[in-house]
Amino acid sequence: MSNVVVLDNGGGLCKAGIGGDRDPSAVVPNCLGRPSSSKKWLVADQLQACEDLTSVSLRRPFDRGYLINPDLEKEIWDRIFRSLLRVDPTASSLLLVEPLFNLPSIQRSTDELVFEDFGFRSLYVADSPSLVHLYEASHRPDGLISRAQCSLVVDCGFSFTHAAPVLQNFTINYAVKRLDLGGKALTNYLKELVSYRSINVMDETFLIDDVKEKLCFVSLNVPRDLQIARRPGKDNLFRCTYVLPDGVEHMKGYVKDLDEAQRYLTLPDEAWFPSQGMKDGCAEVPEKPEDRKRIDLTKNEFNLTNERFLVPEMIFRPADLGMNQAGLAECIVRAVNSCHPHLHPVLYESIILTGGSTLFPRFAQRLEKELRPLVPDDYHVQITTQEDPILGVWRGGSLLASSPDFEAMCVTKSEYEELGSARCRRRFFH
Amino acid sequence: MEDEASGLFRRTSTRTRKVAAKMVAALASSDNRTQAALARLEALENDNAGIETIEINDDDEASLDEDEAYMKRQSKNTKRKTRQAKALENAKKAPRTFLELLQEANLESLPSHVPSYLKAAVGPPSCTSRRNFCTVCGYTANYTCVRCGVRFCSCRCQNIHNDTRCLKFVT
Repeated sequence: MSNVVVLDNGGGLCKAGIGGDRDPSAVVPNCLGRPSSSKKWLVADQLQACEDLTSVSLRRPFDRGYLINPDLEKEIWDRIFRSLLRVDPTASSLLLVEPLFNLPSIQRSTDELVFEDFGFRSLYVADSPSLVHLYEASHRPDGLISRAQCSLVVDCGFSFTHAAPVLQNFTINYAVKRLDLGGKALTNYLKELVSYRSINVMDETFLIDDVKEKLCFVSLNVPRDLQIARRPGKDNLFRCTYVLPDGVEHMKGYVKDLDEAQRYLTLPDEAWFPSQGMKDGCAEVPEKPEDRKRIDLTKNEFNLTNERFLVPEMIFRPADLGMNQAGLAECIVRAVNSCHPHLHPVLYESIILTGGSTLFPRFAQRLEKELRPLVPDDYHVQITTQEDPILGVWRGGSLLASSPDFEAMCVTKSEYEELGSARCRRRFFH
Repeated sequence: MEDEASGLFRRTSTRTRKVAAKMVAALASSDNRTQAALARLEALENDNAGIETIEINDDDEASLDEDEAYMKRQSKNTKRKTRQAKALENAKKAPRTFLELLQEANLESLPSHVPSYLKAAVGPPSCTSRRNFCTVCGYTANYTCVRCGVRFCSCRCQNIHNDTRCLKFVT
């Protein structure tokens, strides 16, 4: 009995575990980091365990979502396989999730890494949309997704966002549309805003990641929310304070007042009546950011107001950032339009959201609101969210790895040695 | 016919060329802005925004160390060629950015029906208007900085902008 290692090698997080399990045993940052206090580069889970993550300089094997530095990746995989999973690569198979449209040169170096450096017995390369589809289809056997065997997977990850139609477990590659915005760009954008407006946090990637995850949300009505965000005092439902770690009492930053941060949830969802939102906003006297000065200077903290929703907003309107790309809703419409017209109604009704950046509160609501006007009237729009969008792809991979004919689909080491990388890759239809 | 023939002898060509040169200069100056915008988008994909200078120093130190070690080894009269070959090999192995790899893959040469990384890009938005947010405070911005083209919403924000990042092309 051999085991299958399932590895969702994402640009931000590396999800690894044994095929057949429900959850991956290791979810670690896919990078090397060196805190300013030490000389040693910490690998993956050592970074998570590290107490002091201020001014960590990072080295990532990924650039724009693709693996460009196999040597660095080797160090991380080494750590994962030997210390975290405790598997013997020579006695196991690998199911590796690769980004869509991987370049041939990168595929070659990946194959080298898998077979020559680690010596895996066999390899199967999967893409994320088909795995997400597989998981959702088997998760809800009587749902539309499994009956129609087709879905539209929106994967909003770390480096980019893909809208990919899947049919019969195959990603329709000519219809895939990509938006070059993901969690990394959003974090960097927030970093830039905070650094300019309050405290310089340009080096604090992990800290700002935390701020983004805890405080950012998607606005359902941007003009209204902008009005609310400039109100003074208690009427401002969005203002909240984040306290930076001081290195003595607490090593991690935290939200000063959680109730204060959650107040935006009390706003009525007047997504469909934007005019009403304007009404209560107009009565307010616009107050300029003087309140920012009220920050307690004895503690290192900063306030956030409109940044909380303007940052995720960029996924929906990249043009605001000066990017010449369409927003997520239009991205989905274009992906659907590239498919056969018979598929259109089914695809709109089976949109699956996955990837860490879809975790912003109200992401799905906003997407539906933007999508509805673009979709023909007689089609339903149905957006499904996964219960854990970060692990969705991995769970699909775990399912696939436990299927009986998995071994038959793999490329074995001897095949690789005989035929070389390019020939073997043809088996995966990439 | 005659009109066309006379058109051939028109002397406007030199003149238009002169104007064109000016236009080119004008375009180049506005190009600064688009280039700044592109550079900024590029910066959003950076891993270590603030530490980059230190990184470079580190690299320098490392290379210095290597040089020293190299000198020592040389003085000990070790094989020189292999070291050089190794250095060459290392340079070849040095990680390249994704854009370099993309260029190398030469995806433009693929036939038009083959889906590729380049064809999967979503393309420009159908509605070209962009909303403008004040770069200082984040609210809706109605004004543009005449020097660098950055947006701001009020006199106060303009002053802050002028004092801090005007012409620095950051936002």
